[in-house]
This record gives sequence, structure tokens and C-alpha cells, in this order.
Amino acid sequence: MDFEFSVITESLPALLAGAKLTWIITILGIVGGMICGILAGLGRIAGTEALGEEPHGIFKPISVLIRYISSGYVETIRGTPIIVQAMFLYFAFPMLVKAVFDIDRFRIEALTAAVITIIFNAGAYIAEIVRGSVISVDKGLLEAGMSLGISRFQLIVYVIGPIAFRRMIPPLGNQFIISLKDTSLFIVIGVGELTRQGQEIMASNFRALEIWLTVAVMYLIMTTVLAWSLRRIEKKMKIF
Amino acid sequence: MSSIIELKNVCKSFGKTEVLHNIDLSIQEGEVVVVIGPSGSGKSTLIRCINCLELISSGELVVDTIKIPAERKKMRQIRLEVGMVFQQFNLFPHLTALDNVAFGPTKARKMNKLKAAEIARDLLEKVGLSAFQNKLPGQLSGGQQQRVAIARALAVSPKVLLFDEPTSALDPEMIGEVLDVMKNIAKDSGMTMVVVTHEMGFAAQVGDRLIFMDDGRIVEEGKPGEVMKNPQSDRLKDFLGHVKHH
Repeated sequence: MDFEFSVITESLPALLAGAKLTWIITILGIVGGMICGILAGLGRIAGTEALGEEPHGIFKPISVLIRYISSGYVETIRGTPIIVQAMFLYFAFPMLVKAVFDIDRFRIEALTAAVITIIFNAGAYIAEIVRGSVISVDKGLLEAGMSLGISRFQLIVYVIGPIAFRRMIPPLGNQFIISLKDTSLFIVIGVGELTRQGQEIMASNFRALEIWLTVAVMYLIMTTVLAWSLRRIEKKMKIF
Repeated sequence: MSSIIELKNVCKSFGKTEVLHNIDLSIQEGEVVVVIGPSGSGKSTLIRCINCLELISSGELVVDTIKIPAERKKMRQIRLEVGMVFQQFNLFPHLTALDNVAFGPTKARKMNKLKAAEIARDLLEKVGLSAFQNKLPGQLSGGQQQRVAIARALAVSPKVLLFDEPTSALDPEMIGEVLDVMKNIAKDSGMTMVVVTHEMGFAAQVGDRLIFMDDGRIVEEGKPGEVMKNPQSDRLKDFLGHVKHH
């Protein structure tokens, strides 16, 4: 077996371009996923004691509706493979739009489809992380807040939020890393991310060992950066 | 003097269990009422109802001229006027002692931060914790935490302070420092206080009235000294016997 170091240096520009795309999809995906996940996570416990008092009047049925919608979203995403979600969005969704709205040239760019898939996919898992952290906040702290006469909104922003956020960081680290690695699946819709770049170079020179080793190391570097940044945030937070 | 808290025929049930039966109680402004009784007798539920942390099932409850249950805004108003000190302190773990105390003034009273910090500093001094203002709750002892919690409740300048077994979670040597703070509040500020406790010495010294509850009912009430000296019911005699042995 021969190991040609020059193969790596030659393919490095293409692989780095792929890594850059992987990084962009990941960052956009987890930022969007956080927003999505916080909304859906709070949505799943809307109107329950975990967010202060139970609602009165018209807010009661509204909160039930919000809970159903959020749960439907989370269960649908968790219950289907991400690769199916990506292919559905890229291939099937435009056809659906065409059929329903009679729009002829509706198309989703592969990269856009990739980012949206990661946003919705990560969002569903982050929703559960958010929900778990929020319901773990000691009920006595909610009562202490309420007994000072603050509003529910203030309770969520100033008491529940900061306490729950600290508990979210370790599982969020998990999810961010999973999302980064999930971008490799977008090879199926033709996004030129790292894995696809590796695959293409490999197909032309058949240097599997050099290429996949380099690809693996590049993923490892990116996941390490993610994990390290989260640990920094965790350390910056006051420990209690 | 007018009554600031008024309960008429109040009942409270959790599911099928009724924990408060037909409670009639009128508390005057500036009065210090001490509530004693065995666990499960409804003492905590009683004061939690006054603060709207629990809603009564039937009867009439008026706090600071507002009839409960009321709309959300009015209940928030009541909570502003009725502070609460909890058995487990419940300090916000992510905030320093100073920020815990300043929390109510800035968030609930919309006071500017500098003024709130000033009030918080004064209150921490009053409870003897000036040196600890930048500590997090996790860095304080139980007694210190409870004193911060009392300062936090005082910071929104409520008309009434409720204490839910404030010394029950403390080591014996820390009970005194918390009781001293409570005594000072009672003497200096003329604050209306409702205190659920097992500290009979505190009741005798500070209480204007002692209420003995058992099984969701007020069994006896009166001047603390007299009630303790001449318990009428067997249940109170029995209870006092147990308390004195500890």
C-alpha cells in the first residue's frame, strides 16, 4: 500500500471549499434551528405550569392549539429520516407547489434546501432540549418570581430563561455536532459540501485512503471547534 | 385600624381532598399573626391562598381591598403588595445577593437600576449582609440565603409579608439570625406579617395573635402567651407537648 502525500495537497483546495460550505450550512442551520427549537420547545409547554400560571379565558384554547402544532412538528421531524426530509424538500416539494398553486418554475436551490432541512431538523431536537431544561427549573423559583409581582413574560425572560439556558448547553453541543455531520447527507441532493467533494475527487483518482482520511480529519477539526466554543460559553456562565 | 386580609368561609380543595374548611379570619394592618399546627394542617395552603399562589375553591377572600380570584392584573397587584418568604429560600441562583434584592424593584416596580441597587444595599445592610452583596446564593449559608430572601421580599415595599416556615430548612445555629431579622421587621416597620412557624419563642415574643390550625380548620386563636399557657383543646395540648420537647 502506498500513501501519496501529494494527493492530499492537490485535493486540498477542493476539500477546503467543501468544508467551507459544510460550515456555512451548519452555522445557518443551528442559528435557525435554535430559533425554531426555542419557539417549538416553549410551544410544547405553552400554558402549563412550567411557564408560570395556567392561562385564563381565551388563552386556554390558544395554548392548547400551540401545544398541538408544536408537538406535531417535533414528532413529524423526529419520526422521519433527515435524508428523506432533504429529498422531499428538494424534489417533491416543488412538484407539490406546482400542482397546488399552478406555479411552473418553482424550484428550490440545493443549498437552500440543505439549510432549511438542517434548520427544521435541528429545531425539532432542540425543541426537546429546550422543553427538558425549562421543566427542570425548580418550581419554587417560579413562585418566588411570581410572588414579587412580575409578569409571565418577565418570568420567562429573567428567571426561567437564564437558568434553563445553562442546562441546555451540554445537550446543545451534542445536537450541533450531529447537525454538522448530518450535512454530509446532502450529497444526495448534490450540494458540494465536504463529503461530496471527497467523493468526486475519489471517483477521479481512486485514492480512497488519502481522501477519506483528510475528509475525516476536516470534520473532526470542525466538530472540535464547535465543542470547544460551547465549553467556553459554559465556563463563562457563572456556576451555581 | 382596618383589616387588610379578610377570609370568610374559605374552602380550598386539591382534587377531592379538602385542605381548608370554612376558614374565617380577619387580619388587621400592622398585626403579626403566627400560625402553628401539625404538618398537613393547611397552614401553608392558607398563606399561599393569600398570595394567589393557590386559588381558593369557595368562600370570600379579600386582600388589600381586592377580591380574589380577580383578573390577572389585579392578582399581580396583590402579589406586589403581599411578599412571601419561602421555606427553601428560592433565591435566583444566577443572580448575586444584590441583584436578587434589586430584582423586584427593577422588574416589578420598574424602578431605575441605580435607585434599585441603592435600596437593595440598604436592605442588605439591614439584614447584616453588606459584605456579601456580590456573592451568589450558592456561596451563602442557609441562614444568609434566607436573610437575602427576606430583603428581596421587602424590596418591593409590600404591605404584607408572608413567611412559610422560614426557619424549617435551617441548621439550628442559623435559626436565630433569621428570627432576629424577622423580629426587627415586626418592631421597626409595623409591617403586617403572617408567619407559619414552629418557633414558639418567636410566637410568644413577637406575635400579636397565635392561630392553631389542625386538619384544615382554625382550632384556637388568641394572644400567644395565653393560648400557649391555657390550651383549650386536647389537640393543641398534644401539639404543644411535642413542640416543647424539641
